[in-house]
Amino acid sequence: MTKRTRTVLWLSGIALLVALAVLLLWPRRKPAPFEPERLSRAGAQGSSITEFIKVKVFYLTETSLAMRPVYREIQVPEMREELYRTFVSLLLSGDSGHTAPVPAGTQLRSLHYLAAREMLVLDFNELLAAAFPGGTTAELEFIYFMVDNICYNFREIKKVKFLVGGNESKTLAGHVDLEKPFFPNFDWLKDE
Amino acid sequence: MKKSIKAGTFLVASLAAPLLLTSLAIDFRSFDHEGYTRVVFQSERNFTYKVQDRPGRLELHIPGRADLPARSVAIANSPLLERVTCDYRDSESVLTIHFKGEAAVKKTFVLEDPFRVVFDLVRSERSERPAAPPRTDVPGSQDREAAPPRNNEAAAVAAEKKPDPPRENPSAVPPRTDGAAAPRPRAIETICIDPGHGGEDFGAIGRSKLKEKDITLAIALKLKKQIESKTGLRVIMTRDKDSEVSLNTRASIANNQLAQMFISIHANSSFRKSAYGSETFFVSLQATDPEALELAQKENQNQEDPGESIQNDELKMILWNMAQTEHIRESSKLAEFIQNELNELLGTRNRGVKQAPFRVLMRTAMPAVLIETVFISNAAEEKKLQSDEFLNKIAAAIYNGISKFIYYYGSLVK
Repeated sequence: MTKRTRTVLWLSGIALLVALAVLLLWPRRKPAPFEPERLSRAGAQGSSITEFIKVKVFYLTETSLAMRPVYREIQVPEMREELYRTFVSLLLSGDSGHTAPVPAGTQLRSLHYLAAREMLVLDFNELLAAAFPGGTTAELEFIYFMVDNICYNFREIKKVKFLVGGNESKTLAGHVDLEKPFFPNFDWLKDE
Repeated sequence: MKKSIKAGTFLVASLAAPLLLTSLAIDFRSFDHEGYTRVVFQSERNFTYKVQDRPGRLELHIPGRADLPARSVAIANSPLLERVTCDYRDSESVLTIHFKGEAAVKKTFVLEDPFRVVFDLVRSERSERPAAPPRTDVPGSQDREAAPPRNNEAAAVAAEKKPDPPRENPSAVPPRTDGAAAPRPRAIETICIDPGHGGEDFGAIGRSKLKEKDITLAIALKLKKQIESKTGLRVIMTRDKDSEVSLNTRASIANNQLAQMFISIHANSSFRKSAYGSETFFVSLQATDPEALELAQKENQNQEDPGESIQNDELKMILWNMAQTEHIRESSKLAEFIQNELNELLGTRNRGVKQAPFRVLMRTAMPAVLIETVFISNAAEEKKLQSDEFLNKIAAAIYNGISKFIYYYGSLVK
């Protein structure tokens, strides 16, 4: 092997490493696909086993336009819809140190999963609209906080429909059309 | 020497790898239907694009590198399409649909899962451009809650003959989807300004109790004055005092008064108290529900008797909600012009041009945008909104954007 060939090979190797580094370090807008991890834990006396899943919840931050993730564990109930309900309650309850874009007093009245349409229907109490602070951005923040987190953690759900007080609502605060279901827009999410 | 060549090839491949990996693969297909040709660009991931209508061709400009299966794809046996080509220049890819003769976009929409950009094209003769119709002022428009958008003369005539529908009733005549080419735009004569919220609907409220509804009205009145004094164009307002006007009525006022531009003015609010800056939206018309899309497609296929084909309220509502569809390209351009001026004059954070399914924009049958001036939820920006000078600046920025759009729009009409 001549000196020139060795030099070219060295340069090729360096170029390859640089290319890989650029690919790996390039800021990714959208988070990688995610499957919640399943965990099993014994009870206090070791008698019963409780199932958990580790979900990845994205919250607003004051320093970024995108939502950032934290991991939380939730218990797996027998019914699938109960799992969704627990997850939505987790979203509504917020998280210390993170901003959940949900008006105070908002509660989930009921929840239905329409498997044939791969759609989750969420019915919130009327405080959601009554206490909503207004603003286009606030509306979009609430909608995609719910839709993106749900669809990201539960792949079988492809879209989310919102009801307020048991009825269809035209908008939350006069901007975004709430009568149609929403598909996720993962541009709102950013990985670690 | 051979080893050197191999090593060199390896080097080039290594350097090219990131570019190849980030290239966007786009599939293309077309279908000829009676009266129109459907063209579909499909990709595994979403992409942003701009459309440019050129004589004999339609161009899709996509930032970055995008590739079709081949640089030039000939289309056999199509009465309208000749071939589709793909070029990369100035950091953007240009997908070009070459026509046999002239064609016009009848309708365009975006579908998800997988991401698709769809164009329905019809044959057109540029020399057959219809003359600008005389302006028809329709009095009492505020009473016409759900009057239809006047997408063309026939629809307008049909609408004239129908009694006014009840409030929020979707049974008004929806935009035509009967295969007729969209009419060419005519010179701008009327602009509709929509001050957001009003009456009992305060909109967002700042920490010092500043109300969005007051700010939007103040800016709108300043803007109206500027347009009228500098251009002599006719300006209509969806409200000119502190009154509550439904979103449907706002769209209906603009449609009934044959406005050719719809400017909705708002002040923003966020759960993030530090959020600041200005942004301009045009509507996103993704067919979010496959069932709704299927209904709309059925309507497109039934062209024997368009009058009879509209049978149920749901279908009419879908078509109604698509009133903005054929203006989306101009709406995007209008948003771009206004946002550029806001950036220049306000000196605040540029949050850009965005799309969202805004109800007030969906039913307007003209280029339409919603401007989020600055954040009333941000203490510093709320303070600025209390200054008359700052409101003048906002109005001036919007006026400048509108002026540039009028010039651009004029070039389309010529």
